Amino acid sequence: MSLYNRRRATNFVILALSLGATGLGLLILFFILGSLLAEGIPALTLATFTQTTPPPGSTGGLANAIYGSVVMTLVATLVGTPVGILCGTYLAEYSRGSWMAPVVRFINDILLSAPSIVIGLFVYQVVVVNMGHFSAWAGVIALAILVLPVVVRTTEDMLNLVPSGLREAAFALGAPAWKVVVMVTYRAALQGMMTGVMLAIARIAGETAPLLFTALNNQFGSTNMNAPMANLPAVIFQFAMSPYADWQRLAWGGALLITFTILILNIVARTLASWSGSTK
Amino acid sequence: MTIDVSTVQTPTHSATPSTPVTVPKITINTTSERGVPEVKIAIKDLRFYYKNFEALKGINLDIYDRRVTAFIGPSGCGKSTLLRILNRIYDLYPGQHVTGEVLVDGHNILAPGQDLNLLRARIGMVFQKPTPFPMSIYDNIAFGIRLYEKLPAQDLDIRVEQALRRAALWDEVKDKLKQSGLSLSGGQQQRLCIARAVAVKPSVLLMDEPCSALDPLSTQRVEELIAELKSEYCIVIVTHNMQQAARSSDYTAFMYLGSLVEFDETESIFTHPRERQTEDYITGRFG
Amino acid sequence: MVDSVIGLSKPSNRMRLQQLQDTLFRGTTKFFALAVLALLGAILVSLAIGAWPATKTFGFGFLFDQSWNPVKERFGGAPAIYGTLITSLIAMLIGVPLALGVAIFLTELCPPVLRRPIGTLIELLAAIPSIIYGIWGLFVLAPFLQLTVQPFLKVVFGDIPIIGILFGGAPLGLGVLTAGFILAVMVLPFIASVMRDVFSTVPVILRESAYGLGCTTSEVVRDIVLPYTRVGVVGGVMLGLGRALGETMAVTFVIGNAHKISPSLLAAGTTISASLANEFTEATGALYSSALIELGFILFVITFIVLAAAKLMLLRLDRRSAK
Repeated sequence: MSLYNRRRATNFVILALSLGATGLGLLILFFILGSLLAEGIPALTLATFTQTTPPPGSTGGLANAIYGSVVMTLVATLVGTPVGILCGTYLAEYSRGSWMAPVVRFINDILLSAPSIVIGLFVYQVVVVNMGHFSAWAGVIALAILVLPVVVRTTEDMLNLVPSGLREAAFALGAPAWKVVVMVTYRAALQGMMTGVMLAIARIAGETAPLLFTALNNQFGSTNMNAPMANLPAVIFQFAMSPYADWQRLAWGGALLITFTILILNIVARTLASWSGSTK
Repeated sequence: MTIDVSTVQTPTHSATPSTPVTVPKITINTTSERGVPEVKIAIKDLRFYYKNFEALKGINLDIYDRRVTAFIGPSGCGKSTLLRILNRIYDLYPGQHVTGEVLVDGHNILAPGQDLNLLRARIGMVFQKPTPFPMSIYDNIAFGIRLYEKLPAQDLDIRVEQALRRAALWDEVKDKLKQSGLSLSGGQQQRLCIARAVAVKPSVLLMDEPCSALDPLSTQRVEELIAELKSEYCIVIVTHNMQQAARSSDYTAFMYLGSLVEFDETESIFTHPRERQTEDYITGRFG
Repeated sequence: MVDSVIGLSKPSNRMRLQQLQDTLFRGTTKFFALAVLALLGAILVSLAIGAWPATKTFGFGFLFDQSWNPVKERFGGAPAIYGTLITSLIAMLIGVPLALGVAIFLTELCPPVLRRPIGTLIELLAAIPSIIYGIWGLFVLAPFLQLTVQPFLKVVFGDIPIIGILFGGAPLGLGVLTAGFILAVMVLPFIASVMRDVFSTVPVILRESAYGLGCTTSEVVRDIVLPYTRVGVVGGVMLGLGRALGETMAVTFVIGNAHKISPSLLAAGTTISASLANEFTEATGALYSSALIELGFILFVITFIVLAAAKLMLLRLDRRSAK
């Protein structure tokens, strides 16, 4: 075999392997989604949305867990987003030449990938221990801490994409810096910042680990933020690991709900991002 | 006279939308339109450093009120830098500093403690690329007015209309004031930016290559606009288009490598340049 | 006076108000930026305080002790630390080549029309929550591996000395290998997307001149793209490693939860995060909780170091491509 043919063969093999790797990745994705649909759809009935989690052996639904997940996710987003936006604003608009910016950016990127279970442990230490009991509020705080770095990052990135000419034009009218930021820069970056918030929601909606030590779980429907609260991930964890078939089926139903909610959020956020990219 | 914004009064009045607007506050008339022009901005031994690089090497220049002054020169000569010092927009970025004096009506705007927002409200600026804010056409204009004046809605409407008329844009946008400023064409966007700048009633208008992103027709409209506006404002325009400088300006400053080479009435510069470099540049031998 | 003529230096009340608002807004943003720093400090301090009783009792030996006995209150971190490292190692061994393949496919091979959809699908793997990987791993993947891959590995490697030990014992489906495999799938999208991003920083002219010499696609990747982006690729791998080390729910479902170090990859084990998820709320006794918190502290420190190294490498690449 000539050298050239050998090189071509190597090339072919490597490219085939890379195709194979991509194929495998997609296969696993569809395998997971397929399993979810196959196992989850039979579990989704009206009762799933109207009844609370049952004791083993009796029928029930996930209503209390869905409620808890939605409430804690939303409240955590409401708490984490403004803080994240303000911090991202500092990094993008005010930190020029300051030592703080690179440090904060660096720490934020680490928090972005830090193990979420450690965040749960931290909130347990600081909130649960001091309050003396588990509560939905503690869960909200843990989730808000997870929202924060995502929003900080996207806010900074999106504000940096705003052309400096726009800021200069606002300054040239005599606008004070805060008005330039709030009334001009934020508006220009709005779509991108929304994307960041949606990605943050998608991130925390399925988080389990930080809730295990904070919101814990609750067999019953509870709207008391000061008490343990049921949530889908914790229920899935408990039910899937149990030996009862009824519980396992509900776990699949919950898994299907969470996954498709999150995938839809992701796809909407990406579409939003690509729109805002194309109009500029 | 007197443009203290806090006391600027709303046009009370006679200015019905159809009459050309007079900017009411400028009442001094020590010189007639054709008389000896009055110095509006006096630049004295101005040096500008970017880190350690001296980008402007001691500029001395008088800019006259109610005249158009053009800065020309090859790229990198410092003409934009000089313009950006006049409203201190350069202050937004670190690593730059400036020495010397820039006297606007005798007041040194480089002095420490100068309030930059107030300064910039008095000295309007139009940029190379149109920069409509991501809001409605109406709000684009109203944004600047609302910064310094609290006006009842009706008066604000009048001011917005006046500004748009000034910029010869009113007829094109009067039916779509609520639409986004981004929906306009490039030439309209630039006139919107000019309207936005004049709406806050500055006394100086800085223009940084305002036509470089525009097609010839829009360029012509903007040049006509400059000709109209100069009866009320001191206009400084940076351009690399020599025909534009010749057409629209009364005075021309030729800059090269951070120095002012020659400054004179536009006609003299283009017909009898005193300096060799100026002649070479305007005849197209370099630059 | 001139000043009053132009009013340049006569701030009105409105001006003063705006200056105050400016200072306030700036101060608020700065406060929250500092809050992020404080958060990191608070996490470290609170975990260190919580871990103190265990640290005081077991000292450095905690890192190497294999016992885990809640009744006698004797705790050692070695099995969990070992499990965390070994599952992440397996994840890297499987995940990195796969991610490299995906990145090569997306940058060099994929028709431009499909680039976006396929890239998005791969990234959606990262969007699937950890717990879903867990439930899927427990009910679908583990039985599948038990019936196919694990017997196959035993047949191929089982009789080879030394390597055979790695595949000793009954194929249970659950265990260290399965956990590593799930982690590989989970970190794949992170590593692939970093690789894809850094591959695109290679100057087009460099690529073109290599093709101009008659290089094949794989030679361009091996000799031009990979050397040029080496730092960034390693950074991406480290980022994936950081994720794998701290991953909790997926591992908890499939690792089998046994506080012992077993030479076989098919045997059950545990990781730091799995121990926390399984035992923390049920831990009775201050020393038990404290030992778990100490494990959490160790996990945080390890991931912090790995992620910081990853970040520094990626920053270095950024700086170079900015030039």
